[in-house]
Amino acid sequence: MGIPTLQGLQTALSGLMANQDSLDVTGQNIANAQTPGYSRQTAVLETREPLRISALSPTTGQGAQLGTGVGVETIVRIRDTYLDSEYRTDNSAMGSASTLAETLEQVQSALEEPSSSGLSSQLSSFWSSWNDLADSPTSAAAKEAVVSAGGEVATTVKQLSAQITAAETEVTERYEALMGGSGEVRSDAEQIAQLNGQIKSSEQAGQPPNELLDRRDELIDQLSKLAQVSVSEGEYGVDTISFGGSAEPLIEGSTVNWPPTLSASSGGELGALLNLAGPEGKLAELQEKLNVVAEALTSSVNALQPSVFFSFAAGEAAASLEVSASAEQLRAGSEGEPGANNFALKLAGLRGGEAEQLYTAFVTGIGSDVQTAQASEGNAEAMLSAIAAQRQSVSGVSLDEEMTNLMTFQRGYEASARVLTAMDSLLETLIEHTGTVGL
Amino acid sequence: MTDRITASMISSTTLHSIESSLAQLDHSSEELSSGKSILAPSDNPYGAGRAINLQSSLDGLSSYASNVQEAISWENTASGALSSIGSVVERVREVALQGQSGVDNEGDLQMLASQVEELAESVKQSANIQFGGSYIFSGSLTETAPYETGAEDAYHGNEGTIARAIAPGSTITISMSASTLLGEGGEDGKLLGVMREIASDLREATPASIAALSGAVEGLDTNKEALVSMQAHVGVVINQLQTAEGRIEELSTTTSAMLANTDGTNYAKVAIEYSSQQAGYEAALRAGGSIVQMSLLEFLR
Repeated sequence: MGIPTLQGLQTALSGLMANQDSLDVTGQNIANAQTPGYSRQTAVLETREPLRISALSPTTGQGAQLGTGVGVETIVRIRDTYLDSEYRTDNSAMGSASTLAETLEQVQSALEEPSSSGLSSQLSSFWSSWNDLADSPTSAAAKEAVVSAGGEVATTVKQLSAQITAAETEVTERYEALMGGSGEVRSDAEQIAQLNGQIKSSEQAGQPPNELLDRRDELIDQLSKLAQVSVSEGEYGVDTISFGGSAEPLIEGSTVNWPPTLSASSGGELGALLNLAGPEGKLAELQEKLNVVAEALTSSVNALQPSVFFSFAAGEAAASLEVSASAEQLRAGSEGEPGANNFALKLAGLRGGEAEQLYTAFVTGIGSDVQTAQASEGNAEAMLSAIAAQRQSVSGVSLDEEMTNLMTFQRGYEASARVLTAMDSLLETLIEHTGTVGL
Repeated sequence: MTDRITASMISSTTLHSIESSLAQLDHSSEELSSGKSILAPSDNPYGAGRAINLQSSLDGLSSYASNVQEAISWENTASGALSSIGSVVERVREVALQGQSGVDNEGDLQMLASQVEELAESVKQSANIQFGGSYIFSGSLTETAPYETGAEDAYHGNEGTIARAIAPGSTITISMSASTLLGEGGEDGKLLGVMREIASDLREATPASIAALSGAVEGLDTNKEALVSMQAHVGVVINQLQTAEGRIEELSTTTSAMLANTDGTNYAKVAIEYSSQQAGYEAALRAGGSIVQMSLLEFLR
């Protein structure tokens, strides 16, 4: 069997089409260079089925195979699933660390320490006011000063307690907003489930759904910030996704198992929120420490002089601390001795005592917590940006590369067109000039 | 590690380095403007706790300093009153000796007696001296005058004590009771009693009473010694207070220095850091500006 006369035209045409398809893919890449979650695509080219040419050689009698051009096998996206899972692990760590740092920083800034407006300096003024009373034991002004300094201490303790409570409420509300019926987790999960269905039908039809896969990966990335995720790919590209260490997978194919069971160890923003809130949470622990400070202050002040100076409601010492003595009730020293200042002297001697030490430890504790949280936030951020860079390195669009591709495919197209022209002129010779001898 | 570098990598890296340069710059400028190296406890948790303790100690020291100042003034007032009592005692002694020798005119003796009576009243007035509205010789009954002038010589104060804090856990007693020196009236051999005795001896103006004056003058001398020892005590207390004052000043200086070391800004260091961070920030901006613009597109026709 010989070579079909028009085969060359077909081969040149396949080159034109393959180069044009490649140019289209390049155009798509350039258009999406800055689209979040976009993975660069490439057209996979393959040679077409060759033609068998039988008994071509007169000596050996062997045939040959003639190539028939090029075809686009498929268009794939360039993506590394290992980097995806690394990215998501780091993203969970980042979500958790930044939420923790943010909330603790908020509590820390409420302390206003070290400064002249924090509780430490108010306690200091309170002890100084007792010292002044010891110097002028009968002075009504000095007694008023003690009551007002005590009042400021109580107000600041109450405000601190209220700030911690506010942070707790905020954390709880944020958790509920994320996990609510119309929250981010649910809507992301529903979208992923829907995409799973679409991806499955596409894959079954043998068309790689690159854009759908990108969108699903982007959604899984978003989920991974909220809690740790693990993805296992099933038949026809359908993912099963576990969320926050919950025993039952959140998404199986196109169904969503709602709600997931989360805990403080779920990781991500939600895990951190659960870590902060609740009766065993970090914020409750801080509140309890502040209560201990208020209790120590009350018992030491009340024990050393006859009036009931500070009082509070049981169980919420910090939130309800107040001065219950009036200036008239205050006594600097023993009854009947106007110059006596034994009580005031003892009170002034409480400077640097238990209450102050407990408070300093409280401040140092919050400082260390914030420092640790900030350090792990910094680490997580560094890891995340490193892995994001790696992922970008694999999947991101490089305009320089696309420009080069653009030139390559353009030249390829031109060359194929030139082949077509050459073939055409051969045929012209055959059709126009053959058999015209002597005409 | 990375072989392909893409446009979005460059932009995110550039943004990240600009942001982190700016954050460092911000922290340094806050340090410079506030003068504090610890802006929040998380900058240095241990240092923050230490700064709080040191600040409280410093406030305490300034309380002690004002206590000491006040106590020194109190003791100086007491010292002045005691020396005016001392000169009165001298005067009484002279009057008694004058009565004992040479004066036989009864009218003159009566006059001398009245003079001693008046001097006794002036001693009481000296003892009734007040400091800042408090009677300082009444023990802890600072609102009651120790003696009532122009009346009985009874002591109205008590033996209670008043102390001032001069260091953590350390107090000094500044109250005094005039009764140990001046007595409580009647024949208790104390200063007022002896003076009343001299006055009545002079007023009686009999040879026997004049002879008894010498015994009274001896009593006066005994009380003089008591007065001197009381003055010495006041002197010792003032001394202690001045020592305490010096120590407080020294402690304040070292504590302030420690506080400045703990949370103060090292201006030279931060200023240098600030300018190098500024240079870093500018470099990041400049590099970002030129690298983000550049691409193969610029060079293709």
